[in-house]
Amino acid sequence: MSRRAVIAGVGHTAFGKLAGRTAWELEAEAAAGAVADAGLEPADVDGLLTDPGPAQGILDGITPHFLRLGAQLGLAPDFAGSELLGGAGSVAIVERAALAVEAGLCSVCLCVYGDSALSSPGSYGYGRGDEAAFGFFGAVGLHALAARRHLHRYGTRPEQLGAVAVAARAHAARTPHAQLRQPITIDDYLDSEPVVEPLRRLDCCLVSDGAAAVVVTTAERARDLGRPAARILGHAQAHRLATYTSPEHFETLPAARCGPRALARAGLGVADVDVALLYDCFTIVVLLQLEDYGFCKKGESGAFVEGGRIGPGGSLPLNPSGGLLAEGYGGGMLHVIEAVRQLRGEAEGRQVPDAEVALVSGHGLGMNTHATLVLGR
Amino acid sequence: MAGAPPLPRPDPLTRPFWEACRRRELVVSRCEACGHAFLPPGPCCPRCWSRRLAWRRASGRGRVWSFAVYRRTYDPALPAPYVVALVELEEGARLVSNLVGCAPEAARVDLPVRVRFDEVGELVLPRFEPAPGEGERP
Ligand SMILES: [Zn+2]
Repeated sequence: MSRRAVIAGVGHTAFGKLAGRTAWELEAEAAAGAVADAGLEPADVDGLLTDPGPAQGILDGITPHFLRLGAQLGLAPDFAGSELLGGAGSVAIVERAALAVEAGLCSVCLCVYGDSALSSPGSYGYGRGDEAAFGFFGAVGLHALAARRHLHRYGTRPEQLGAVAVAARAHAARTPHAQLRQPITIDDYLDSEPVVEPLRRLDCCLVSDGAAAVVVTTAERARDLGRPAARILGHAQAHRLATYTSPEHFETLPAARCGPRALARAGLGVADVDVALLYDCFTIVVLLQLEDYGFCKKGESGAFVEGGRIGPGGSLPLNPSGGLLAEGYGGGMLHVIEAVRQLRGEAEGRQVPDAEVALVSGHGLGMNTHATLVLGR
Repeated sequence: MAGAPPLPRPDPLTRPFWEACRRRELVVSRCEACGHAFLPPGPCCPRCWSRRLAWRRASGRGRVWSFAVYRRTYDPALPAPYVVALVELEEGARLVSNLVGCAPEAARVDLPVRVRFDEVGELVLPRFEPAPGEGERP
C-alpha cells in the first residue's frame, strides 16, 4: 500500500498576540517549517489546502484564501482549495489531502491553518443572523445552550466542566510554546468571570494569532525522506446542517456518526486510542465528544473527566499540548501536529509513553460540522 | 439602552413572520404534507422537502428548552445581564428569543412561558415571559 497517506512534516509559529504580523506572514512561516520538517523543498509541493481562520474568511468577497496564499508562496499546484467548515476545517483538509494523495491527484499536499484573530478584534463576537436582535452573539452563546442542557439533563456539575479546563492548563505547563502555561485550580475556575452562563471565561478557548501547517504525502515518499511519519489510518466526516432550532440539535454531535466510522476504517476501537486530541473550543464540547466517541456513556462525561483521568499521566491523556484552551487557537491544526509529535515520540516533557494511536477531532460552526482522523505510528 | 440592537431585515421568506408579530401574533411555518412545524421559515420543509407550506398561528405558549445568561455586553443596545432562551412552542417548533419578566437567577429549563411582543425600532420582537403562576418560583 505505497500510496497510503501519511503526515510527514509539521510546522507552526508562536501562538498568542503577534502584533504587527499578518496572517499571511504567519502562514508562510508555518508552511516553510512543515515542508522543511518533512525534508522537502518548496518545489516539491504540488497540493495546497487551507483552512482560513475566522478573521480571514473569504477575501474581498471573491478571492478564496488558498489563491492568495498560493500566490504569495509562488505555487503551481495540481490540487488546491480552501475548506469552510469552521473548527472542523483543519482536520477536514488533512482528510481531503489524504484522499488526494491516495488517489494520485498530487503527491505532496501542504495543509495550512492561519489567522490573526487576536489582532483583529471582534471576529468572534459576531451576531447570528436574525437572532442578534435577541443578543444571541458568538459561538459562546450556542455552546452555553448545550452546556445548560447537559447540566440539566444529566446533573453535570460546573466543577466537571472545570476539570477539563484544569487538565488543559496542567498539560500546557509542560508545553514550551503554549500561550497560557500557568496551572489553575478548580477554585480558580469557579472564580473566573461568567461570560455566558453556565460558561465562564475559563470554559472558553483562547483567541490567538498564529499559523500551523502539515505536509501530507504517501508512505512511499516519506520512507525516502528518512523522517518518521504518522500514518493516516482512518478518517471520516459527519455534519448536521439542520438549524439548531431543529429538535435533534444539542443532544449529540455529528461525532457520534463519524467517530465510529473513522475508527472502523482503521480497524480500531476507542479502547485502542492512546492519546485523544479533541477539539476544545469550549469545555462542554470535550464532554460531549467523550460521550459521542464512546469513551464513556451518554451523560457520564462529567464523572469521566474527574480525578485527573484526562490530565498528565491520566488513563486517557487528552490534548497533551494544552489544546485550544491553553496551547493556542490553532483551528484544530495544532491538535493534528501534537498527534504527530506524540506518535513520533517528539513531545519531550509531555510525551505520552508508548503512544501508538491518536484520535484527532475537529468541530465547527453552530455545532454543525465534525471531522475525525485516526493516526498511527 | 443606546440605540437599537442589530435588527432582522425581513426578506420574502421571513416577512410573514415579522408582519404577524406586528399584529401581536406568533406564527410558525407548517408543512402541509407531513405536519412538521418549524422556525425559522425556509423554502421547503426541512423534513420532507415539500413546498406546500403554510403559516399557522401558534398559541404563544411553550417551555424553555435551554437558556444562556449573558453576563457580558456585546452590543450597547442590549446591556447584560439578559437571558437568551431556546423556546419550544406547544406546536413543536423552536425559536431563539429572550426570557424577560424574570430575574436571570429564576430562569430554568422547562419553565412554562408565553409570548409577549415588544416594539424595538421598526420591528416588533416576540419575547417570552414566565406563564401566569410561574413567576419567580425557585
Ligand atoms: Zn414536511
